[in-house]
Amino acid sequence: MSLIKNWKFWALVIAALIWARMPWFVSNNYQLQVLFRITLFAALGLAWDLVGGYAGQLSLGHAAFFGVGAYGLALFTQLSIPVWISLFLAAVVATLVAAVIGIISFRLRGPYFALATIAFGEVLRLVATNLNVTGGAIGLTMPSLFTGRTFWRQFYLASVALVVLAFLINFLVSRSRFGYYLMAIREDEDTASAVGINTPRCKLQSLLLSAFITALGGALYASAFQFIVPDSVLTLDISIQVSIIAMLGGAGTLLGPIIGSALLLGSQEVFKNQFQESHLLIYGVLIVIVVLFMPEGIVGGLQQLFRKRAKSPSASAQPATSGAAQ
Amino acid sequence: MVRFLQACIDGLLTGALYALIGMGLALIFGVMRIVNFAHGAFMMAGMYATYVLFDYFRLNPYWGFLPAGACLFIFGYLCYLLLIRPVRNRSDFMQILMTIGIGLILTDGAQLIFKADYRQTNIALVNRSVHLGPFGANAAEVVSFVIALIFVMGLHLFVVKSRTGQALRAISQNREVAPLMGINLVRIQGFSFALGIALAGVAGGLLLPRLYLFPGVGEDYTTKAFVMVVLGGMGSIEGAALGGLVLGITESLTSLYAGNEWALIVDFIIFLLVLSFKPSGIFGSQRA
Repeated sequence: MSLIKNWKFWALVIAALIWARMPWFVSNNYQLQVLFRITLFAALGLAWDLVGGYAGQLSLGHAAFFGVGAYGLALFTQLSIPVWISLFLAAVVATLVAAVIGIISFRLRGPYFALATIAFGEVLRLVATNLNVTGGAIGLTMPSLFTGRTFWRQFYLASVALVVLAFLINFLVSRSRFGYYLMAIREDEDTASAVGINTPRCKLQSLLLSAFITALGGALYASAFQFIVPDSVLTLDISIQVSIIAMLGGAGTLLGPIIGSALLLGSQEVFKNQFQESHLLIYGVLIVIVVLFMPEGIVGGLQQLFRKRAKSPSASAQPATSGAAQ
Repeated sequence: MVRFLQACIDGLLTGALYALIGMGLALIFGVMRIVNFAHGAFMMAGMYATYVLFDYFRLNPYWGFLPAGACLFIFGYLCYLLLIRPVRNRSDFMQILMTIGIGLILTDGAQLIFKADYRQTNIALVNRSVHLGPFGANAAEVVSFVIALIFVMGLHLFVVKSRTGQALRAISQNREVAPLMGINLVRIQGFSFALGIALAGVAGGLLLPRLYLFPGVGEDYTTKAFVMVVLGGMGSIEGAALGGLVLGITESLTSLYAGNEWALIVDFIIFLLVLSFKPSGIFGSQRA
């Protein structure tokens, strides 16, 4: 058992190192930029998974945290606070926003919760569009976290760091008591509450954690692309994209969001030239296919397949699959 | 005072169309417990259908909305059979995702076919206005208001009086028992989904002469429809109609006193307030 665990651990370390070393293999900035977005959205998918996957609360308002992170970074640096401190402050503000949104929205369940999170995200988008501080519809110029000729490479490395952070958090949560509470809430909130889990608090904690990472991601993303408008960082599209990445790969799994991000953003790049502005078409098709045929997502679907195979031949295959179930 | 009343009239004229959209969404939610995130996209499809009829056959949108609505009825039924029915026993989660997926396909499909160009139907009616004392209204808005009102009344009578309407209400009251009373659940659900979509399409057709048409035009209407349905109490068809009227008037008054750009914010704030304090809706009849 420990051997298997070790084997997995080392595989992940090597994967992370290769991932971080990708700039060696790709030279031009365009490819690096695509890799940056895939990596960043993998981190966002992992962050969303804490709320959407483990706790089973369908949040469609993560753009709020993403956008607050981005706007926060821009506005705090305008107050001549150093960029890295601004980055941190922006994430803290996003966490506070998440607390407000969570306290109100978590009183609702199922579709009502999803609707409430959408409404919060949209309110923030509209407010940012109409206020002068946020530059209105014209937007803001972002401070650069990295400068110089190799800045894409640095942004890319930062996104890898973020994905590693998100992965570690998800890993620790999935193995912790807190994680089991969240999964209990997902399976049956009433029962979870009946056995003594403080369900509102657990749900809120998962949202706060998720919002913090999402805000870091949003700030990083905005800084890399240098310019933001409400319709680019606070749009419902971001919320939907993040949730789809997690669901497509497999909600509530560790590798799911990473695979989902690579598949979704990768296919978007591939089909960009054919469909141009209709690049979301491929999203729609992928969603429909996954919902119809792979309701557990790609990782979940594969796990089921393996579990069925592993059932008869030997018992030793069992821990391997359940270990991957996480 | 005149300006206030004028704003109320304008709001009411728009509100009737909103009511049509909201009733469609409420019908689908009531009978199927599915929150249709593609509702605005279906409305957009209705607009393009009406536009195509106008563009190729010179059919006036105020007639064209009828065939467009019929097309959407069939289209909605097909969507139900192929995409919604297979997931009817899955979690809310999956159903919401499915409708989001359908919405994306519709919106970006329209973008692929019609490109992102803004389109407009130039019909003479839009430039005429009707006056009554100190109040005035756009003739096109009045026409679409009357048509929408006929549909709203018709749907209300249908739901209350007809046998299918009774079956529909039975299912929305209790999905387990209704089939035991000899109601064909699948048939009624398919019918209501198609009808809800058709209503969105009709509303789209009626809105066409007054809006610029582009593939993303429906997005705001999805969220607006949610607001109406939540206002009226999820699943209550009459409530959603009232919610539509209230929303129309609120938007119009917000535009008057705070400016057009705040209208949507006020929508959402009302929405959040209702959701957090009275999730059963302000018009009471409760079955959420």
